[in-house]
Order: sequence, then structure tokens, then C-alpha cells
Amino acid sequence: MINTPHDDDKYKSRLRNALQNKFLGITLDNFATAYPTSRANAFAGMDIEALVDEIARGKDAVIPCFEELFAAFKTNAEAAGVKVHVARTAREANEIIAAIARKNQVKRIVKGKSMTAEETFLNDHLEREGFIVTETDLGEWIIQLRHEGPSHMVMPAIHLSRHEVAELFTRVTGESQDPDDINGMVKVARRELRQAFLEADMGISGANFAIAESGAIGIVTNEGNGRLVTTMPRVHVALIGFDKLLPDLESALRILRVLPRNATGQAISTYVTWITGANECRPGPDGRKEMHIVFLDNGRLALAKDPVFSQALRCIRCGACANVCPIYRLVGGHNYGHVYIGAIGLILTYFYHGRENARAIVKNCLNCQSCKAVCPTGIDLPHLIKEVHRTVLEVEGEKPLKNRLLSRLLKDRKLFHTLLRRAYLAQRPFLEEKGFIRHLPLFFSHEHSFRSLPAIAATPLRDMWDILNQPIVRNPKYRVALFGGCLVDFVYPEQAKSLIEVLRGHGVQLEYPMEQSCCGLPAKMTGEDETARDLAVRNIEAMDPASYDYILTLCASCGSHFKENYPKLLADKPGLGVKAQQLVDKLIDFSSFMVNVLKVDPELFCGSGKKVAYHAPCHLCRGLGVKKEPRELLKISGVEYVPAKDEEVCCGFAGSFSMEFPMLSAELLKRKLNNMEITGAELLVTDCPGCVLQLRGGMKKRKGKMQVKHIAEVVAEEQKRKK
Amino acid sequence: MAEQEALIQTMKEKAQGVQTKVAEIKSLHEAFLYAVDVTKEQNGATIAAPGLDEENLASLGKLCEEKGLELLTANLRDHASEMHTGFTIADWGIAETATLVQDSSSEDLRIATMLSETHVAVLPRSRIKLEAMSLEEELSRLMKSAPRYLAFISGASRTADIERVLTIGVHGPQELHVLILKDDKA
Repeated sequence: MINTPHDDDKYKSRLRNALQNKFLGITLDNFATAYPTSRANAFAGMDIEALVDEIARGKDAVIPCFEELFAAFKTNAEAAGVKVHVARTAREANEIIAAIARKNQVKRIVKGKSMTAEETFLNDHLEREGFIVTETDLGEWIIQLRHEGPSHMVMPAIHLSRHEVAELFTRVTGESQDPDDINGMVKVARRELRQAFLEADMGISGANFAIAESGAIGIVTNEGNGRLVTTMPRVHVALIGFDKLLPDLESALRILRVLPRNATGQAISTYVTWITGANECRPGPDGRKEMHIVFLDNGRLALAKDPVFSQALRCIRCGACANVCPIYRLVGGHNYGHVYIGAIGLILTYFYHGRENARAIVKNCLNCQSCKAVCPTGIDLPHLIKEVHRTVLEVEGEKPLKNRLLSRLLKDRKLFHTLLRRAYLAQRPFLEEKGFIRHLPLFFSHEHSFRSLPAIAATPLRDMWDILNQPIVRNPKYRVALFGGCLVDFVYPEQAKSLIEVLRGHGVQLEYPMEQSCCGLPAKMTGEDETARDLAVRNIEAMDPASYDYILTLCASCGSHFKENYPKLLADKPGLGVKAQQLVDKLIDFSSFMVNVLKVDPELFCGSGKKVAYHAPCHLCRGLGVKKEPRELLKISGVEYVPAKDEEVCCGFAGSFSMEFPMLSAELLKRKLNNMEITGAELLVTDCPGCVLQLRGGMKKRKGKMQVKHIAEVVAEEQKRKK
Repeated sequence: MAEQEALIQTMKEKAQGVQTKVAEIKSLHEAFLYAVDVTKEQNGATIAAPGLDEENLASLGKLCEEKGLELLTANLRDHASEMHTGFTIADWGIAETATLVQDSSSEDLRIATMLSETHVAVLPRSRIKLEAMSLEEELSRLMKSAPRYLAFISGASRTADIERVLTIGVHGPQELHVLILKDDKA
């Protein structure tokens, strides 16, 4: 039974429990570590980006035409002896299939793996109707016997240990099973399920492709059960979502090039089966299969017309968005989806299984962009997750207090900044040396104490800008606006100070447009699009991109928010959409500016050879797509960069996420710092003040020896003294 | 010709990655000998060989008889639990994924390749293509003439559903042998 919590408290307590599950933690961590390598090997020598782009475009062309494609499919399949049905709802699909079974005097049913059948809870329905249903995919069989839902779309039983499977099989077979003999257990399944294939009257499969031009379906499997399900019983029913329709074989083969590679790192899955029409089947009527295809709508046809969410229908169910998700890695699929798992699961749950089931889980996104980067059809998953989150909040009307407060604050820059200045005074009794707060104010729970929080700076950057930013550059080569972001402005002004020092002598006229405010990402992350839009307008008005050669930010999150969201937020504001795009075009991070624009020379640095580890901020390496420049800059500045494990995995900060899910943030941080400390480096460098906050706070809490710095600070320190 | 040779090399390399055993043979007779030997080595008692013509059937039958093996040729559904070796001739090969392409519209052919313990398939070397897309036209045409059941087979049946440990032979054959037959003038 799938039981997804409907409220935050229950959900969070489930998450805490999951974090205690040692087996799950280790197994998912191993998987997350192994997957990127096997994926990279599988795609070796191929242009993944071009493939993804081609598939996305192909899918987008098809999505508006599902009904036409269906009509063609139906004509062709019926001509080949197939009965084609349409189910508008999940229940209707189950009823159609049960009726087919009754009409054909079916008792026993074997099933191939089908997420669509999971979506409709087909087994439950058929069992209630008195049919004996056996899942035949090994993983699906295991979870069926345990009465669970899948915890991964491709590996449904990945959450279970060999011991749990051995116990289960001992119970099922009445013979003791050796947990260390996995091969032996697989053979148990082979034996038991072979019998089921031979006795079944009906086989139910899903399909990966429904090809309109021929009425053929394509099924991608590894175990071979899909072939047996479609061959042995006299009746075959395929349950297929409308989203699996494609015009022709070529489109299907194109997807087949990426599906197994992206799902399991296989060049191809062991079996790919293409079935057109009612094939030869000795026990069937007239020696032919009684074949039915049920197309499931369940909202798909309406989703296809949705201007924002239709791209969710590109999904080919490879499961990779779970494979790379740092949260999935911690808590597993039973806590990261309802029926559909992973990033796409958070989205589809809302549409296929309702708001109640989506309500709590949809908040659990770091916006780290890992899923988006791995999606073979280029779905903007983090964006759609936020859109679902926003929609749920809107529909439910009751906005959480923190949303209302945040919106209120951010909409009024002067009030917001006044409060930040006052916060400096208010925190004074709690201050500790070196810019940390000694105790957390009382409204934080114990769960938030996994990191020390930084103090608000005595003087914000904006108040000392004119004094710091001296001397005035004559005949500048570049005119650059600095976008500080709240953290650099009010918490870490020293990072901007380092920037000013580093840029001195390079002919850069640096400016700090004073009307700039929060970038708006915190609003966007809590589903407050109105506020996010307001802030976008304000910032664009504060720094007209046309006045500058570059707009530089030390905060990868602000930068990535500009790039990802400003054009979307301002798309229908005449004139401003253009400015948003110009802002994106001029946007640059510190490392890229140093390496690609100023082309700094190693001669400028002392060459200390300090050992340095690097944490790649999500919003830099994926958000802005900057990967090599920071590492190159470290090299140029004469320190020794030591690679660490999982450099590009989120540190767990993710802005307000770490306040909402402190238990997850703490665990991500712990793993991150472990990976960094093991390098033996003395310095941990990153290039986002948010990551600095998280990493430095965690390092302090664990009394670690590594110093945590923004890359601008390191580069400033490594410079030879300027005359 | 060199081109075809390169494809065979690719096929062989990729086959290793999916535990497929590949051998090159010069005649169908050699394939029969191979199938009989494998069956004997594995203590199997039967070879299921649907779809062979009469002459070849006679020749394989004779070899089986000599070695005390039973040759099954039709109504394989009735022998579902007793097939050791499934012997078939593939329609095409796809080198970059070491895939066999078989028109499996015949139920017996399907059952022989699904329910045998070991699948021995002959692949004429002239029929090896680089990628699935190179067969797009032929396959499309076949799919449009229904009923049709086409199979891509790349290695032995496998699963990683228990602790992600790769395990061979869950539902289908536990071994796949591909015999590349020299059918051209190379």
C-alpha cells in the first residue's frame, strides 16, 4: 500500500526515519556514485546534448498531436486484428481490462512491468475482481509480495536488502534461502514465475512506444518477462499512456538510443520487442492472440495543452532524475514520489494522484538542477516542481505565514534593508568571535543547530561601497555592475572587498547600483511568483544591462536565478522581457570573468601551492554551466587543487530549503564535509556565498580544520602585493 | 569488405560487454556441430530448432541422433519445460549494441528463444549493420505487414533487481551464443 503523507509533520517524520535506515543510505549512495560513470561510458563518443535536443524537439512536435496519432494508430492496429480502447480515467482503464478478462474467462494473469498500471492501481482492482495477478518482473514481483509500491521507476525494489528478499522468498517458497546467494534467489524467481507464465490466461504489459504509422507497440525489457507475458497467454492487453504515441519507428529508435543508456548505463536493454497486431498464439481463438490495447488518458490529453506543464509528457520513464537527486539518495523513492518517483514523480503526482499526495513531497526540492541536467528529454524539472508547488499553494489558498512575511519584506527594499541593519544590533548579545552567532535565537528548533549561522555584518557592502571602491578608474576597459545579492551585501561584504582588490589594475570600472535588491530566488523557491516578478523588475530597473559590459555576481544562486527565471517571469511584460534577456547575456561569474575576460596571468600570484579542495555550487556548475573556469582559476592563482568525491553534489544549503528540511540539509552537509576533509586540503573553496554559509557553518560546528572561503577571497590572498 | 570486417569486430567487442559468446563459422553444418556440442557440454537433452528447411533439419537431426539428443521442431509450447538449446537463424545483427534482430512472428521461434536455457543463433555476416537506424526501412516495412513480432536480443536475460547485483538468466535463456556465418565471398 502506498501511503504518502499529506502534511508536513508526518512527511518530515518519515524523512527522519528514512535517514536512520543504514542499508538504504549505503545502497543508494553506492548507486548514486556508480551511475554517473556508467552513464558516461554508455554515452561515450556520442553528442548527448544534441541527442537530447533532438528528442525534446521531436516530443514537443508530437505532444499537440496525440489525438491525430491515436486515430492513425487505431486504424492500423485494428486492421491488424487488435481491439483498441480509450480509458478517460484510471478507474475506466481498470474496468475495461477487468471486463476483457471476464469476457475471455480469464482466471490467472501475468503482468510485465508497467508504470502506467501502477498509476491506475490495476492489480488492486483486478484482485478485488477475483483474478489472480502475478507480477513477473523480479523487482515488481518482490514488491507485489510485500504489498509495496515501487521505490524507483526502473529498479522497483532497490530499497530492499538481500536479507529482506531472502526472508520474503523463504516465506513464499517454504524453503530456506541464503541471502548471499543472489543468483540462487533469482533462480527461485525463475522457477516460480515460469509456472505462472505457463498457467496464465492473460498477459498484461505496458509499452514504451506506440507507433502510429504501423499500429505497433515497442517494449523495452531486460529480464525477458515482457516477451513471455506477450507470448504465452492467449490474451494480451497492453495498457499505454497517450504520451507514448509516436509517429514512426524512426522516432522510437531515436528514443531507444538514449533510454537504456540513461536509465541503467546499458547501450541497449537485453530485449526490445515490437508487436504489430494479433500474432500467432496456439491456444488463442483461431490460433491467434486475443489482443487489446488500452490507451490511458487520465489527464494526459488536457496536460498536452497546458502551456507550462505539457513538457512533462516528454518523459520516457528512464528514472534518471531519481538516480542523480541528492534527496532521493538520502531517503529513497518511498519518500520521494507517490507512484511515480523522482523529480518527475513530484510533478506527475499532482496531476495523476492529486494535490493531497503532492502537497508535502513537492516542497522537497533543492533546486540543485541535477535532474534537469540528466533528463534525456530536457524537461525543466526543477521549474515544473516549483510550478506545482506554487499551484498547490494557490489552490489551497492558505499561504504559510513565512510566505506572507517573506513576500511582504522582499517587496519593500527599504524596509527589508532596514530590518537587516537592525538585525545586526539585535544579534549583538548573541555574537561570538569571527562573525558567528553563538546561540540560535529561540524560534529555531534543535534540528537547525547542525551549522553555526553567520552574523549580519556591522556595515553592509552598500554603505561602504564608495570608500572601498577606490581609486576611480580612468579610461576603463570594462564597465561592470556588481550584483551583490543579500548575502554578500549584508553578511559577507568581505567577498566583494576581495573582488575589488583583485580587479584593481585591470582597467575595470566596477559599480554597485544602489537600488538593487534581493534577486527574488527565495520568493520563487517558496512559490511566491508575484514577489519574484516584482523583484526582477526592480533589479532590472536598478541596473539597465545596456549600461554595462558585464553584470558580475559573486553569488551563483542569484546568477542562476537571473538566467533561469528572469526571462520567464518577465516574458509578458513589454520591454522588460528583452532587458531580462540582455541581463542574462551580460551575466558573468567571478571565475569566468577572471579567466575568460581578464585572462589573468599566473605571474600575478605568489604560487603558494596551498592544497585546496573545491565545492562546485549547483547554480554555478549546472545553473550557469560553469565548470572548468573555477578550477582553472585556482591553478592560475598558484594553489594546488585536489579533486574531491561528489564535488558537484549539493551541499544542502539551497536557501530556504535548509530551514524547511534541516534534517536533509544536515545530512547533505555532513557528507559534503566528509568528502572534502578526506582530500587533506587545508582550504575549501567555493563560489557562492550561500554555499560558504552552509560549509563554513558546518565546518565550525564540527570543529573541522579546513577553512572555507569564496574563490574571490582566495584569489585576492594569493595575489602578489600590488604597487 | 573491410567495412564488413570492421562491423564484425565491433559486434564482437560489444558482445563481450553483454556476456554474449561469439564464434565465426563457415557453414551451417558447423553451427549444428556447435549447438550439439554446447548441449552435450551442458548436459542438455534437447535442441529446439524451429524454422529450418527440410534438408537442414535432416542434417541437424542426424547429428542429434548420434549424440542421443532429442530434436524439437514444432509445437514447442508443449515442450516449454524441456527445451535446453534453442537454435535459430537471425535476420540481422546490429554491431554497435551486439544485437540480434529476429522476426519472431512464428510462435515456435519465439518460444525457442525465450524458454530455452541456451540460445544459439546463426547470424549471416552480410546481415550485420552498424546501428538500428540503418535497419529503419526494413523494420518499418515488416511492422506494417501485420501480424508481426520483431525481437531485438542483446545478450542473455538479466536482472539487477536484488541489490543491483547483475544476475544472468532470470526469465529467458541463461546464455546467448552468436555464430557469425561466412555467407559472402570474403
